[in-house]
Amino acid sequence: MAIADALSTMPGTRRSLRDRVALRLEPYLYTAPALILIAAVMLVPLVLGLSYAFRDIQLLNPFSGGFVGLEHFRTLWGDANFFRALRNTLWWTGASVFLQFALGLILALLLDRPFAGRGLVQALVFLPWAVPTFLTGLNWAWMFNPVIGPLPHWLYALGILDAPNNILSDPSLAMWGPIAANVWWGVPFFAITLLAALQAIPRDLYEAAAIDGAGAFRRFSTITLPFLAPTIAITILLRTVWIANFADLIVVMTNGGPADRTQIVASYIFTQAFKALDFGYASAIAVVLLVLLMIYSMLIVLLRQTLLERG
Amino acid sequence: MASIDIDNVRKNYGAVPVLHGVDLTIKDGEFIVLVGPSGCGKSTLLRTVAGLEEVSSGEIRIGGARVNERHPKDRDIAMVFQSYALYPHMNVAENMSYSLRLRRAAKERIASAVSNAAGKLGLEPLLERRPKALSGGQRQRVAMGRAIVRQPKAFLFDEPLSNLDARLREQMRAEIKTLHRDLGATSIYVTHDQIEAMTLADRVVAMHGGIVQQVGSPLELYDRPANLFVASFIGSPAMNLLKGTYDASGAEAGIVLPDGTRIALSGPYALQSGTEVTLGIRPEHVVLSPIDGLPARVSLVEPTGFGIILHLSVHDLPLIAFTLDRTRLQSGPTTAIAFPPEHLHLFDGAGNRVVRAN
Repeated sequence: MAIADALSTMPGTRRSLRDRVALRLEPYLYTAPALILIAAVMLVPLVLGLSYAFRDIQLLNPFSGGFVGLEHFRTLWGDANFFRALRNTLWWTGASVFLQFALGLILALLLDRPFAGRGLVQALVFLPWAVPTFLTGLNWAWMFNPVIGPLPHWLYALGILDAPNNILSDPSLAMWGPIAANVWWGVPFFAITLLAALQAIPRDLYEAAAIDGAGAFRRFSTITLPFLAPTIAITILLRTVWIANFADLIVVMTNGGPADRTQIVASYIFTQAFKALDFGYASAIAVVLLVLLMIYSMLIVLLRQTLLERG
Repeated sequence: MASIDIDNVRKNYGAVPVLHGVDLTIKDGEFIVLVGPSGCGKSTLLRTVAGLEEVSSGEIRIGGARVNERHPKDRDIAMVFQSYALYPHMNVAENMSYSLRLRRAAKERIASAVSNAAGKLGLEPLLERRPKALSGGQRQRVAMGRAIVRQPKAFLFDEPLSNLDARLREQMRAEIKTLHRDLGATSIYVTHDQIEAMTLADRVVAMHGGIVQQVGSPLELYDRPANLFVASFIGSPAMNLLKGTYDASGAEAGIVLPDGTRIALSGPYALQSGTEVTLGIRPEHVVLSPIDGLPARVSLVEPTGFGIILHLSVHDLPLIAFTLDRTRLQSGPTTAIAFPPEHLHLFDGAGNRVVRAN
């Protein structure tokens, strides 16, 4: 602290009130530019958004905007559509993350072994990640369409479907459509991050384990998995939050239908805000989703911390 | 414990040969050191014995049984890696007992084997620690402990001391030697450090370019190097090598250097007069200031504390001499040298050692 040093080297001077205030403020003044920037770009929009949840904001009603307290949350508590969307969100997120992770891990393990043409295969595998999500959604919607797409016919031929119908219009199956598109689109993310983590594992360890007598499964469980665990925890956390908030594919492919069977919380927020134009209620739902995801994130971060400490 | 036979082993990586037919017989309980510059194939040879690399042709037998097709775990060997390769998620005791646990050994046997090895290596207070909480030397000990616990047929060491600092390396070298004396285990030890090779080995295998250059006791390699590679690789400072032609005329055979200087040899060699040869002499065998010697200029004096290394030039040929005589520190710009015939080594045009004719 420049001022503090200057003052302490002056013998016999009594610090005036002004000096003492300056001393106290000094560190805050240094950090102020960064803090103000963060507050302006992150906190202000967040607080504004949160405040909508407690206000009556309807775009079509010019007299709305008043403070309504917890009114939206009381409505939400009795909103069957919201709870169905919450269940759908769990299903959508759980199935998507699990399949993306499982397939991504298998892909990463395959790509970790040297073979001819590996560079080309790696590039191809990572391609879906580069496809815009709206294009992905449209593409998969067409593929599930029995008039132009092959998938219903293949599924029928395999005996999975009773008739070559569009699963997107079948209430009991519709969710699998966006999940399939999401898995196809998101597998590369897991494959890339897990492959990077795999390649950071020292090869000596596998050789030492092979000499010690560990078979392929034991080598995987005692070396690969512990090394991957922190990466797995953080990628699953990121993807879960991302997918829970990820309404693009659903909006494009099913728009929440049929009969709200594919409506997730994120698409429900979208519907409330931009179809019903009730921004206040949409914000209240968003706040609930935010709180749920924050609790989930805390749990995963704690889990990762313990994993890292054990390693 | 077991003998190891390496029979005409070849190894190619694609079209690139790295081992050109290696033959080596290792007796039960013998400590063999493979030494050579990097890329000479010594590590590859060790890894083929471990089963981490397949041989392209030839046969490896451990205890008389062919192991070419066996997995590393079925060869009953233990290996100590340069990086130690300790399992980071297991503590010291778990690291050491891993192989026995995988073999479903009895709990009591595992406990006694671990405490026994820990006792030998002074690891008792560290058994609960994880590798990352250990120093380099301690990790090295755990890696050795992991090998000892197995009671394998053979120990394989892949440059185990290269990651340690000089003092620790000396200490661990002595410990490895003591350990080998106590356990009497057949060992193959790979290093590029000739001091480790000389001090540890019962027999040293000098390798270069995927070919075994010489096999013998450390002093055999030092005193009677089989070729120019071994002569220049073993010994520090390295042997002086001078090109010349063999001259059998006169009372004593000799070597004529390019400038016409004749250096006398003791006795005739099985060579034609006029053959191109290389003359070798170790720096400590160069005699300084004899009664009648060759004049030499002193270009550099390097005191090592133990002795003094003198960089000389004799008729513009560079030459290194080593002496324990400290008064040489004050030696003037010129001196005289002589080459005692009994310490001269002679190599033919192909670089192979030439012996005396009688």
